[in-house]
Formats: sequence, structure tokens, C-alpha cells
Amino acid sequence: MRPLTEDESKAVFSKLANYIGKNLIHLIDRPDEPYCFRLQKDRVYYVSESSMRLGISVARPNLVSIGTCFGKFSKSGKFKLHITSLDHLAQYAKYKIWIKPNGEMPFLYGNHVLKAHLGRITEDTPEHQGVVVYSMNDVPLGFGVTSRATVDTKKLDPTAIIVFHQADVGEYLRDEDTLF
Amino acid sequence: MDVSGILAVQAQKQKSIQVEKDIPLDIDVGFLTVTDLNPIDKESYEENLEAFLQSTARDGVQALLTSLFALPTKSSPDGPLAQLPPPTTQLPRAKPLPKPKPPTKWEKFAKAKGIQQTKREKKVWDEERQEWVDRWGWKGKNKEVEAQWITEVPANADIDFDPAKEARDARKARVAKNERQRLQNQARAQGGNAEREERKKDIERTLATSRVSTASMGKFDKKLDGEKKLRGVKRKFEPTENSVENEKNANLALLSKLGGESNRPRRDTGGGDDVVNVRKAVRFASKGQGSASLARKGGSDGKDRRKGKFKR
Repeated sequence: MRPLTEDESKAVFSKLANYIGKNLIHLIDRPDEPYCFRLQKDRVYYVSESSMRLGISVARPNLVSIGTCFGKFSKSGKFKLHITSLDHLAQYAKYKIWIKPNGEMPFLYGNHVLKAHLGRITEDTPEHQGVVVYSMNDVPLGFGVTSRATVDTKKLDPTAIIVFHQADVGEYLRDEDTLF
Repeated sequence: MDVSGILAVQAQKQKSIQVEKDIPLDIDVGFLTVTDLNPIDKESYEENLEAFLQSTARDGVQALLTSLFALPTKSSPDGPLAQLPPPTTQLPRAKPLPKPKPPTKWEKFAKAKGIQQTKREKKVWDEERQEWVDRWGWKGKNKEVEAQWITEVPANADIDFDPAKEARDARKARVAKNERQRLQNQARAQGGNAEREERKKDIERTLATSRVSTASMGKFDKKLDGEKKLRGVKRKFEPTENSVENEKNANLALLSKLGGESNRPRRDTGGGDDVVNVRKAVRFASKGQGSASLARKGGSDGKDRRKGKFKR
């Protein structure tokens, strides 16, 4: 377990900023308790200071997980967000999209969000913007990237993809062994 | 007169020219060497060493001379000379065995492919001349086309097509190619371009040095596309148990650098708790020239000085 280097922090923050924008400050500068990012193996964990200090005494091979896993670094140094970060993303999400009940299951099986399933969307969402996907009763289901800006979606046909799938809560079952 | 008695007495005085040993002596006349393989008789050895050595040596020399006189002789001005046979003893080689020649590129290839090399005869049969001629060299078979007095010309040939020159050029090119390949084989045999490798290493070392020789020790330099990571540089990480406060500040600084506009609430921008942001006010009042220019303007001659400057 170690703090992130500057390059790693940059990779993590730019990924997170894609979803929560300036709200990223609230993750770093928390009023309740100091939190920090820690790297263990190739995973990035978001840990409160107290648990981090407890975790220091655990040897690296024995430390399976600590705090919330936000994602992992690929071998080529890219950062990939995991669904486990959804709680924090959903809390501060800048752009949101709500999908109809008939679109929930397809999304939870890892498919992209189609226009037909689109319930609501934040106004003036730009193209290729990270968005958090909610069900109609405001339960966060996952996140993805918009394929079109909000204004452009009006012209699309119902089968067109609106949000490219990136992670969904179905992964808690599908990728149980590699997720945390 | 019977002299046999005298001879017998004389012969008893002289030792026999026949040497009798338990194990016969090993004589190599070619090297003029005798080897006595018999074990040493301990008693006589300890009794009188000199006498023992002398008798052993005498026996050996006697045996050698006996065999020398049995050899065929050749007369010479200095008297008859014995003709030594070639030596039979195998002497060990003084120098180490020569190293096998490093295989050429073709030899390597042929070995990998299992190609058996057949010996090419140097002579070839010439049907016209009805004799064996050299394959190459003086009046060689390979110069046949150049030398013949009439040559078939292909239909699409140029006007200035010279078949003899064409053939000669092709032959010279083959020779040049072979020479080039020979040199390449030689260079390869000398072992992997040691000089070039050294130069490459040298350049890499220089490059690595120059990369960390800027004011920021290479930290803020522009990274070129495909630039490799410096080797031998140890990664250094912050300690895990560092104060989280420091880490937070570093992260906030990084964030403000990331986003074009500053994300961070401005606390230390001057002005403090006052309603007026002093820095901003100064900037506004001085039209962006700073507080020093404002102080100058306060003086009466501030403007004139400036004018003078403009005139000049």
C-alpha cells in the first residue's frame, strides 16, 4: 500500500473528473474525516485516514482490500474505474441519465443504453461525457459515456445507442472474484 | 694356433653386446630414444647408486647402438651414415588444436536445412573443344559467352545492346557480390560488431546524462513521442504513513493544475476577510501595471517622466 505518484493521481483524477467534474474536491477535501487514495497491487482504494493507518500494519501480500476500491491500473498505465466506485460517483454526479424499467435489465447485463430505454437525461449533456445511470426511482445502476449530446439525441432512432456501457451493478455478480 | 681360448677370456672381460632384460627395452630409433620399463632393483640401487645408474645407462645405450648398426647405411664423405626410420613414439602436440572456423552464413543455413554440400569439380567438359577446361580462371568456361564470336540477341534488346559486355558485367557483379559476402562473413566471425555496440552504449549513456541535466533535473521536460523511460532510475514513493493533510494539499494543487480554471476555493489570494479584494483593486486601479506604478503616479512628475520616455 502506498500513496499515488503524481502521474497516477493525474490519471485517477482526470477519470473521476469525467463523471463528477469539480465535485472531485469534495472527495479529496472532506469535512467529516480525512480520506486518501492508496495504491495496493494495481488497485486504487479510497480510504479514510483511520483505516489506512490500521492497514499499514498488514503486510502487502496479506492485504486483500481496504476501504473502497475505485478501480485499477492496467499494465499500460491507464486507469479503469470499477463499479465499486459508483456510490461516490452517484453522490456527486454532474450529468445523469435515468432509464425506464424495461431498459434496466439489458443495462444490468452489460449492454449499452438504447434511446428507447431513455427515461430522462440531464439537459445539455455534451458528447462523450461520463454519466451516471439511474433507474426511474433514482437507484444508481452504473455509469457510462454518452454517444451524443442531448440535443442530438432527439433525431436518433429508438434503437440507437445513447450511452456506452462502462460499468453496472451486475458486475458485482459477474466479476465477483476480480472486482475488489 | 688356436685363439678361441684368448677370445673367450677377452669376451668374458667385455660385456655382452646383447642386453638381457626382464621386460625388453623400448627402442625408438627415429628419436634415438630408449625407454627402460623395468622396475628398479632396490638392493643394488641402495648399495651403490652411481654404479647402478651407470650400468642401467650402459645397457640402454648398448641396445640403442646395436639397433643403430642394424640399420641400412648410406655412404658419405664423412663415412657411412645410418638412415633413421620415422619415429614411432607419439609425442603430444606443443600448441593447442586450431579452433574450428566459424561457419559462414551459407554454411549455417545449409546445416539448418540439412543441405549436403557436394564438391564441385574444378574442371568441366567442353563439348566443342573435346577437352576438360577450367570452370573459371584463365580461359575459364565462365567466360565462354564473352569470348564467342557470335551471340544470339533477344528480340526486345536495345540498339546498343552488347552481349559480351552484358555477360562480362554480370560475371563481375557475381565476383563483387561474393567478395562482399566474404567480407561480411569475416566481420560476423569477429563477433557481433563490438565497436558498434560500444558506440551505441556510449550514445545511450550520453543521452541519459543530458536528459537529467536540465534545471529541473529532467522533471518538467517535454516528453517526446516514443521516448523510453530512463533505466536505472529508482522509483521513489511517498511514505504511506505521511500526513494526510499534506497529501490533500498536493492533490488539490494537482487538481487546480488539471482543470484549466482553478477548482479550489481561493483562500490565500490576498484580501483576506475584507469586502474589497485588495489585489484585484490594485490591478484595476493601475490598469494592470501593479502597485509600484500607482505609487509613481501619486508623485507630480510621474506623468511627465512617462511622456518623456515616449518622446524619445
